[in-house]
Amino acid sequence: MSTVPRLVIFACSRSAGEAFASLKAMGQSLPSDVAWVNLPCGGNVDVLHILRAFEAGARQVWVLTCYEGACESLDGNRWAEKRVQEVQGLLQEIGIAPECVAFRPISPTMAADLLAWLEER
Amino acid sequence: MIVAERKPMAEILSFIQGVNRLLVVGCDTCVAVCLAGGAKEVAVLSAALRLALRERTPALEIIERSVERQCEEEFNAPLAEDIAKVEAVLSMACGVGVQTLAEQFPNALIYPALNTKFMGRPETTGIWAERCLGCGDCVLGRFGGICPITRCSKSLLNGPCGGSSNGRCEVDPEHLECAWQLIYDRLSRLGQLERLYAIEPPKDWRPAHDGGPRRVTREDLRP
Repeated sequence: MSTVPRLVIFACSRSAGEAFASLKAMGQSLPSDVAWVNLPCGGNVDVLHILRAFEAGARQVWVLTCYEGACESLDGNRWAEKRVQEVQGLLQEIGIAPECVAFRPISPTMAADLLAWLEER
Repeated sequence: MIVAERKPMAEILSFIQGVNRLLVVGCDTCVAVCLAGGAKEVAVLSAALRLALRERTPALEIIERSVERQCEEEFNAPLAEDIAKVEAVLSMACGVGVQTLAEQFPNALIYPALNTKFMGRPETTGIWAERCLGCGDCVLGRFGGICPITRCSKSLLNGPCGGSSNGRCEVDPEHLECAWQLIYDRLSRLGQLERLYAIEPPKDWRPAHDGGPRRVTREDLRP
């Protein structure tokens, strides 16, 4: 079992968190190299959270939030996307592929998609 | 406030080539308010530097600090112990703070992590704009509180010029209002349009930086 997660997922509890809960209810669990961090809203994610994940050894970071217009905090997903873009710019400046951090909207009903993403990565 | 922006990472990294122990010091006054060099930005820059140099041996050791006002020696004094432990210091203060550290710790290598931009204010969230050039002879009282020196692209004292169109400045119509339109509107609101009949004489730039580096002396405060 991996001790350092290779993928860290910062997840809005209202969308990605619900999708993950559905996966668990279906008997699925996360791969051992994935760390899941539930956030009250995707807008809580910060540049420093993402950088710290990379510093801790993660190879990839995903930020999963509600779709545009579906955020219960109105625009938490937009703020999350901006934070991701900020980190992507910073990574590019220091010679790390910006694709290492990804922003993905998801809805609570997308458990199957979440599973597919985890398998495809 | 003094408004600043982080330098490109490539430039910052060029400063610390070969440095194994680094102190990154922020300033919790102006540059913290404009989100360029406070404690949070020290943490972000330090994390980015560690990531950038993650494959280097030995690993880069960074001490992260932030002081209340880097432009005053009293606040920097507690840094002496940290500075003694490192090979270089990266200051996230404005140019005044960087120079204060350099004067205060003459044997330390001090590098700037920010580009100091201007004296200005936040117009709205995420946008800061220049408001004062520090010309040393404030004219705001004659222009309804709007500075033609700073806000007119040509620093015209007898404006507007022909580049004013629909209240915008020809230099950057998307982002710049015509200072002279603003002055006219403001004086009109204040019932002081007659002020604009006065011809302003050429400005004496000696009180500005053109007269050399300036200083203010208050004998009543000196020992």
